[in-house]
Amino acid sequence: MGTKASKLPKDLLSEYQELTFLTKQEILLAHKRYNELLAGEDRHLPSPRVPMSKILTLPELKSNPFRKRICYVFSTSELRDGSLTFEDFLDLLSAFSDSATLEIKSHYAFRIFDFDDDGTLDPGDLEMLVNCLTGDTEDTRLTPEEMRQLINNILEESDIDKDGTVNLSEFQHVISRSPDFVSSFKIVL
Amino acid sequence: MADEQRSTSFQRLSSDSTVSTGSDDSYEYYQTDIYEQLPSTLTKRRWQQVEQTYEVGSCEYDLLPPSIDRDPHQPLNMLPLCMQEKRNLRDRRHQERLRIGFWASWRQSQQIARRRLREQVGRFFSGLLPWKHTLHKIEGRFGVGVKAYFVFLRYLICLNLLNCAIITGFVLVPSLYHKSWEDYKSDNKSILHIFLGSGFLEGSPLFYGFYQKIPLFFHTGMGTILFLSLIMIVRRMVVGYKHMWLMGKHFSLNVSYKVFYGWDFCIQDPQAASLEHSFIRNELKMDLEEQRFRQKVSERSMKQWACLYFLRGILNFVVVVLLCGSFTLIYYAIISAEKKESFHWTVKLLMNYLPPITITVVNFLLPHVFSRISMFEDYFLTTQLNLTLVRSIFLKLGTLAIYIIFITIQNNTCAENEFGKEMYKLTIFQLLACFCNTFLIVYLKRLLAEKYPSSKLARMIGIQEFVIPLNVLDLVYSQTVTWVGVFYCPLLPGISTIKLLAIFYMKKFTVMRCCVPAQRLFRTSSSAVLFHFMLLLGLIMSFVTIGVNSIRSDAGCGPLGNDTMYSVMDKFVKTLPISAQTTISYITSEAFIFALILAEIIILTSFVSHGRANRKTIERLKDMLVMCSSDKRYLVKQHSTWLRQRYRSSETEALGK
Repeated sequence: MGTKASKLPKDLLSEYQELTFLTKQEILLAHKRYNELLAGEDRHLPSPRVPMSKILTLPELKSNPFRKRICYVFSTSELRDGSLTFEDFLDLLSAFSDSATLEIKSHYAFRIFDFDDDGTLDPGDLEMLVNCLTGDTEDTRLTPEEMRQLINNILEESDIDKDGTVNLSEFQHVISRSPDFVSSFKIVL
Repeated sequence: MADEQRSTSFQRLSSDSTVSTGSDDSYEYYQTDIYEQLPSTLTKRRWQQVEQTYEVGSCEYDLLPPSIDRDPHQPLNMLPLCMQEKRNLRDRRHQERLRIGFWASWRQSQQIARRRLREQVGRFFSGLLPWKHTLHKIEGRFGVGVKAYFVFLRYLICLNLLNCAIITGFVLVPSLYHKSWEDYKSDNKSILHIFLGSGFLEGSPLFYGFYQKIPLFFHTGMGTILFLSLIMIVRRMVVGYKHMWLMGKHFSLNVSYKVFYGWDFCIQDPQAASLEHSFIRNELKMDLEEQRFRQKVSERSMKQWACLYFLRGILNFVVVVLLCGSFTLIYYAIISAEKKESFHWTVKLLMNYLPPITITVVNFLLPHVFSRISMFEDYFLTTQLNLTLVRSIFLKLGTLAIYIIFITIQNNTCAENEFGKEMYKLTIFQLLACFCNTFLIVYLKRLLAEKYPSSKLARMIGIQEFVIPLNVLDLVYSQTVTWVGVFYCPLLPGISTIKLLAIFYMKKFTVMRCCVPAQRLFRTSSSAVLFHFMLLLGLIMSFVTIGVNSIRSDAGCGPLGNDTMYSVMDKFVKTLPISAQTTISYITSEAFIFALILAEIIILTSFVSHGRANRKTIERLKDMLVMCSSDKRYLVKQHSTWLRQRYRSSETEALGK
């Protein structure tokens, strides 16, 4: 791949180190991987974007059922098309990195699971979430009866203020009770 | 734009009302427009707007949600913002710092510098831990559960390395300093002795007998090792226990867990991903089934209960018989290994290794039998697995205890050396067993399955699963042997470090090459407590063994000579200056102990009452939350009915005109 475009200025590098949880090596690796995804002609643009379809070909994301949601959440594109700039990409890796805190991780997890972007996990979101987990085909889905029972169970447990939805603080309350979450909510290049 | 949004949601609301006139529950309250204007929801709304507008390059600080930048000292990378916003925030903080004066700004920048230093040091130390890449690869293919096994293995290796360092410092170096190498005759070398721990190894630093003349160093070293291990394990167990307690009956969050972090984001392999899908599906279905099962259990009739209890009683009896049988088998193995007859050396080796072989075979076979037995007991699956695990723990530690007891009651000239030798043999044999299991059983199975995938035999055997709990149990067992033996065979931590390293690579080979992950999701935190508890049991067992042995040791051959552990201490104290002696006698006196116990009671009581108060506060806060939310809902509903009425009246007015 072209090496002349993949030079990261030193001050930018240290700025990225300050603003993310990534180490120098991780940022450089991310830069290399990002440049491999970037089409040749885009490289000379001031802030190039990699379209979502290309991001999804990364092996780290390829078999993740939430890959599209992840792109949408971290994308800063005005078109909401899930395309990522290099900085968005770093944001993504920072949130999923080893050293990111539980607060950051749970915050982004909430946004990823909030499929309709309305700020709460309502039964519709939960249903989509469960479908993503079990595999979204006819024979892998739960039956409607099972789904209804499951969503009722979830709401009964986590919906502390009994308003029928799980909001961010309730979600973080659930997540904070598990030490496993930090280790499993992780994508490392 | 906001107006537009409001009007659309207003239309949605009004069309809603025309569809189902009057009914208040036709829409969810969080879909109303006033809900979207509530401050808590607004945080999110605004923040999305910031995302959209920042690309123009304008720095609209005021648009930042108030809840996000409450604490100016919070590191920027801890904020859930995109890069450009963090940059803007940093600039703003910088400007504020200029405003607040020299001293405060200097303090803030010092704080930042200190934090960075801490991060760097932390990163440096975490970089020292080996096998990061390997673990990452395993994680990518098999998920967090299997990785937890390897992390546990790595933890044990580090623990043993630490013990090694302590032994070298406290025991090995002083004794080598005291002892000239002429005492140490090294005739009679053969490979057989390495396996038996006899011959030239007998008088070597490997065993207790070598360490004469340095009783104090020896005991300090051993004491340090055991207490350090105790502290480390209790600390880890307490962390796990805290989480388990939090997850327990006070906050039952079972299903939510499985859904909210059911997915393991580390998984990269598509095959592993589809496996994970089916795990989660099975797990969720299992939960729902368990719910139904509980209902069924509550409907069971008296006669059914009687039958079930009868069956369970019989099966438990079978388990007890099996346990007793295995204990007797080990007893006979020890007895027959005792007979010192002159055979060919291979037979001698085999006879010598008879007890370890018996223990390993029993430990290998019986857990499988236990898991079969628990299938018939009509418990639910999780209970079944736990029951099998508990029975296996009992088996492993029980066999080891029986072995230790029989060795201790034998009368030998140098009982401590004999004891150390047995532990040495157990350790060596475990390595051999792991080797055989990996290359002769698991690998051959896999080869068979690959070469002749359609043959009947291959299908009957199937592919080996990597059952995490049983593998962890093996590790716990080996660590227990190390702890029990360390007093009598001081180089045992070193040997077991090497052994664990070998096991690490063999298990890596097993996992990467031969296994499929087990058919059940494995949660690290829920089992960590159990594993550490098992480790603690092993440690307690070693304390008991050493304590019992130290009381009954008569004519020893080690550092103590004819003394016991306590008389050595007394002798040492008498050599100290008078002031130190009085201090020590005060510390060990009843008056001091009484004060200490009293202080401990007071501290414990305060902690308990603190915990109780916290629990009450949590309950009260929960109630308050429910109250607040119902107030909110009520107000939102009132507001939207009012809006609807106004809309309708304006509509009728328009119609009237």
